[in-house]
Amino acid sequence: MSTTSNNTSAIASAASTDELAVQMIDVNKWYGEFHVLRDINLEVFRGERIVICGPSGSGKSTLIRCINRLEEHQAGRIIVNGTELTEDVKKIEEIRREVGMVFQHFNLFPHLTVLENCTLAPIWVRRMPKKEAEEIAMHFLEKVHIPEQAHKYPGQLSGGQQQRVAIARSLCMQPQIMLFDEPTSALDPEMIKEVLEVMVELAETGMTMLVVTHEMGFARQVADRVIFMDQGQIVEMNTPEEFFTNPQSERTKLFLSQILH
Amino acid sequence: MPATTKKLPWQPFHRNDMLPPKPPPPATTGVLGWLRRNLFSNWWNTLLTLLGLWFIWVVASSLIEFALIKAVWTGEDRNACLPKDGVEVGACWAYVNAKFNQFMDGFYPADQEWRYLTVYAVGIALLVPLLIPKVPWKGLNALLLFGAYPVLAYLLLYGAPSLGLPIVETTQWGGLLLTLVIASVGIVISLPLGIVFALGRRSQLPVIRFLSIAFIEFWRGVPLITVLFMSSVMLPLFLPEDVTLDKVVRPLVGVALFAAAYMAEVVRGGLQAIPKGQYEAAQALGLTYWQMMGLIILPQALKLVIPGIVNTFIGLFKDTSLVSIIGLFDLLGIVQTSLADAKWSTPTTAPTAYLFLALVYFFFCYGMSRYSLFMERHLHTGHKR
Amino acid sequence: MKKIVALALGALMTAGVATAANAGTLEDVKKKGHVQCGVSQGLPGFSNPDDKGNWTGLDVDFCRAVAAAVFGDPNKVKFTPLSAKERFTALRSGEVDLLARNTTWTMQRDTELGLNFVGVNYYDGQGFMVRKSLGVTSALQLNGAAVCTNTGTTTELNVADYFRANKMQYEVVAFEKADEVVKAYDEGRCDVYTTDRSGLAAQRLKLKNPDEHVVLPEIISKEPLGPVVRHGDDQWFDIVKWTLFAMINAEELGVTSQNVDEMKKSTNPSIRRLLGVEGKFGENIGLTNDWAYNIIKHVGNYGEVYERNVGPKTPLGLARGLNALWNKGGIMYAPPIR
Ligand SMILES: Nc1ncnc2c1ncn2[C@@H]1O[C@H](COP(=O)(O)OP(=O)(O)O)[C@@H](O)[C@H]1O
Ligand SMILES: N[C@@H](CCC(=O)N[C@@H](CS)C(=O)NCC(=O)O)C(=O)O
Ligand SMILES: [Mg+2]
Repeated sequence: MSTTSNNTSAIASAASTDELAVQMIDVNKWYGEFHVLRDINLEVFRGERIVICGPSGSGKSTLIRCINRLEEHQAGRIIVNGTELTEDVKKIEEIRREVGMVFQHFNLFPHLTVLENCTLAPIWVRRMPKKEAEEIAMHFLEKVHIPEQAHKYPGQLSGGQQQRVAIARSLCMQPQIMLFDEPTSALDPEMIKEVLEVMVELAETGMTMLVVTHEMGFARQVADRVIFMDQGQIVEMNTPEEFFTNPQSERTKLFLSQILH
Repeated sequence: MPATTKKLPWQPFHRNDMLPPKPPPPATTGVLGWLRRNLFSNWWNTLLTLLGLWFIWVVASSLIEFALIKAVWTGEDRNACLPKDGVEVGACWAYVNAKFNQFMDGFYPADQEWRYLTVYAVGIALLVPLLIPKVPWKGLNALLLFGAYPVLAYLLLYGAPSLGLPIVETTQWGGLLLTLVIASVGIVISLPLGIVFALGRRSQLPVIRFLSIAFIEFWRGVPLITVLFMSSVMLPLFLPEDVTLDKVVRPLVGVALFAAAYMAEVVRGGLQAIPKGQYEAAQALGLTYWQMMGLIILPQALKLVIPGIVNTFIGLFKDTSLVSIIGLFDLLGIVQTSLADAKWSTPTTAPTAYLFLALVYFFFCYGMSRYSLFMERHLHTGHKR
Repeated sequence: MKKIVALALGALMTAGVATAANAGTLEDVKKKGHVQCGVSQGLPGFSNPDDKGNWTGLDVDFCRAVAAAVFGDPNKVKFTPLSAKERFTALRSGEVDLLARNTTWTMQRDTELGLNFVGVNYYDGQGFMVRKSLGVTSALQLNGAAVCTNTGTTTELNVADYFRANKMQYEVVAFEKADEVVKAYDEGRCDVYTTDRSGLAAQRLKLKNPDEHVVLPEIISKEPLGPVVRHGDDQWFDIVKWTLFAMINAEELGVTSQNVDEMKKSTNPSIRRLLGVEGKFGENIGLTNDWAYNIIKHVGNYGEVYERNVGPKTPLGLARGLNALWNKGGIMYAPPIR
């Protein structure tokens, strides 16, 4: 299988690969017998914000986790930032450096302080001097509105604060693409707001974002595209206005009627 | 029923003045309170307490009588510790005194004793600050202890004629010195090796996983005594004629590998307790496998299994006593050997010897156990979840 | 267990795995500058370290005698303490040049195990100890007795044979360690304590009132203890063997460490040959002709060594008995040097 082939790519695409952050071509994945991703084709443009929604178990997490190789796809091609994902560990690490991820359960490192959580990867992966890494970390902790918590341990913070640290931690690597997997699902209502605010502000900086969420308010406000998934397939993809006001597929209609009331 | 007659079963209530805190009733706090609650709360508990006290008294008083009151403190030979007028004496400390040097170092030449004493002193000077969390420069300290110190210890203990230190062959090492050498080398080797095999057992690569499982299960499947026996009896037969593996190195390797297998299983338990999310977060940040393990997973996993690790250390320390069956004079071996000296054969020599052994082993094992408890609590307060 | 180990060793040897250090032991020893001698891990009177950490005992002195014969210096010897189990492997593999570890000379060890016993330096045998108050004077009066002994030893088997042969009943009380056995006996948990007589003498010192106990005259097994070398090096075998014989001959000829220099002037041809004044006996076995002089001068004759380590004046207090010279009521006998 050929790897990055830039402009001469054989992929039928409207855009040149330079403009594409992520390219998924006929991606298929199985868990044993279970066909979890079926013929996924998706092109994400740089600076684009995509919201992915769909019923539980439809494969949303699996889809975005394939983008940074937390899950391995078995057929098709995934090209991230111009590099194709293969078995090559070097390539995988290269891609992961450029792709940040925020998890539903934060996954902060409990044995490190907030600041250490944020500086760890820049120091060890980007080989940044500690002082510089700390300056950058404080910058992003300010962006997520919690610079005063820098020297606490994650266990001493509220859920919303932890999730904002997790976002800052990813941003400290200064990635080109950010993946969010239901970042607000584990939070109490008043904390959802503070996390969404941070995400909106991030979206305004022009970051490429793929967000799995059921926060339809967020989708309406920032998304360039909304994707609806069911049974491992992309069922519908449209602009937020069209998607919410004029869904085409029966499944989408049913789903929207369940979550919007 | 007419509504007017309906009466609420409760009174509406509100409060404007908040209650100030009051001290608890007397005798539920302080020593008396504790005693009453824990030891004398009812007649059955009281009875058990009294029984326990009686039992402690019986054991402790006969021990004190043997070890202190009826003990013989000085003397030249067995005559000092023989029964006086048909009455048996207590512990024969005169014998321990006469043999004390041997118990400490086996047959280490008397004029070279400063060498191992220096090794002890430097070891303590490097170990103690490393064990106290508040003391800074942990990295440099660890580098000195695990890098420079072993070289120094080797040169001093074994000798280097070029430095003016005559060779003291390992066959002359013995007593507590040998026990400490085997135990500390075993501890220092078994932990990293155990970690490597624990990681290997969870590896994605079948060959590495298989080798790790084979190693772990092999060493867990054979008794240490067999390992030691094999290493001392069978190994020399298989080695070429002119290759003679040092008599101390053989069991040293055996003990270290044996402990490493147990350590691997302890560490694996810790690894299993780390949530998948920690691995994923580390990977998503672009950390390599070894960075992920070294910076994220192991620090958490090892902390979880400190009691298990220390348990293995304590077991290893006590297992070193098994080397006495293959002709090494570790502490147990040299003490048992000294029992064969007719010069000191008396009815109380053996009980004295074993009491002495118990005290020394207890000192070290209890020390490790207390330190592990302290460490657990210390790490716990650092960052509770 | 013993049998299995022996079989395994036998198999290994016939397979030729360990043809270790067959010939040339003397050269090896000279090159090393010391004799490596396998001894016990502590056996009263035979090999045990004293308060200063110096090895002492009958077997230890024999090792020193070999060193004196080879180097003229009894201190050019190093001791390897060996458990009963590993002693033969250590010798086979060349880890030790010589084994002097109160080892009983048996046919199987002398042949199948590939070893050579150079002779006997102590005639031992299994005996019985009882309380005087029991009023027993012969082992044949022990019908129905409770017998204390070590588990899994030949002693246990010997005692079974003896009681069966004499149609007597007994009850065995066995323990792993000698210290446990002697404690049980002292506490009256059995009537009889049985082990090798040298062991009885040593263990007796641990009794509360040794005077209240008596060793019965019967000896129920032959335990000839002797130094051992490996098959295949006749020169070394000769050296070690004649070291023992020289010590015994010296006693017979009245040559001691005290008078050995005088004795060099003796006109007795036997003494002159022993001390190398006449003949080339030393050179013929690869040593110097004053080899035996050195043994006697630095270590002593057999009688001296016996008295020093196990004799009546030591805590063990063992009478010479069988170990007296053949012309003094014992069976210690050495071929002549001529
Ligand atoms: N490691 C796994 N092994 C087997 N099945 C899995 C695994 N992970 C997820 N699945 C299944 O794949 C389907 C899609 O999972 P997921 O992508 O997590 O869905 P979503 O995020 O849309 O809720 C679910 O049915 C889930 O049970
Ligand atoms: N002479 C017997 C017995 C030798 C033997 O093992 N003796 C025992 C004591 S009776 C012993 O050495 N015990 C102490 C030790 O193993 O170090 C033989 O050669 O088999
Ligand atoms: Mg999901």
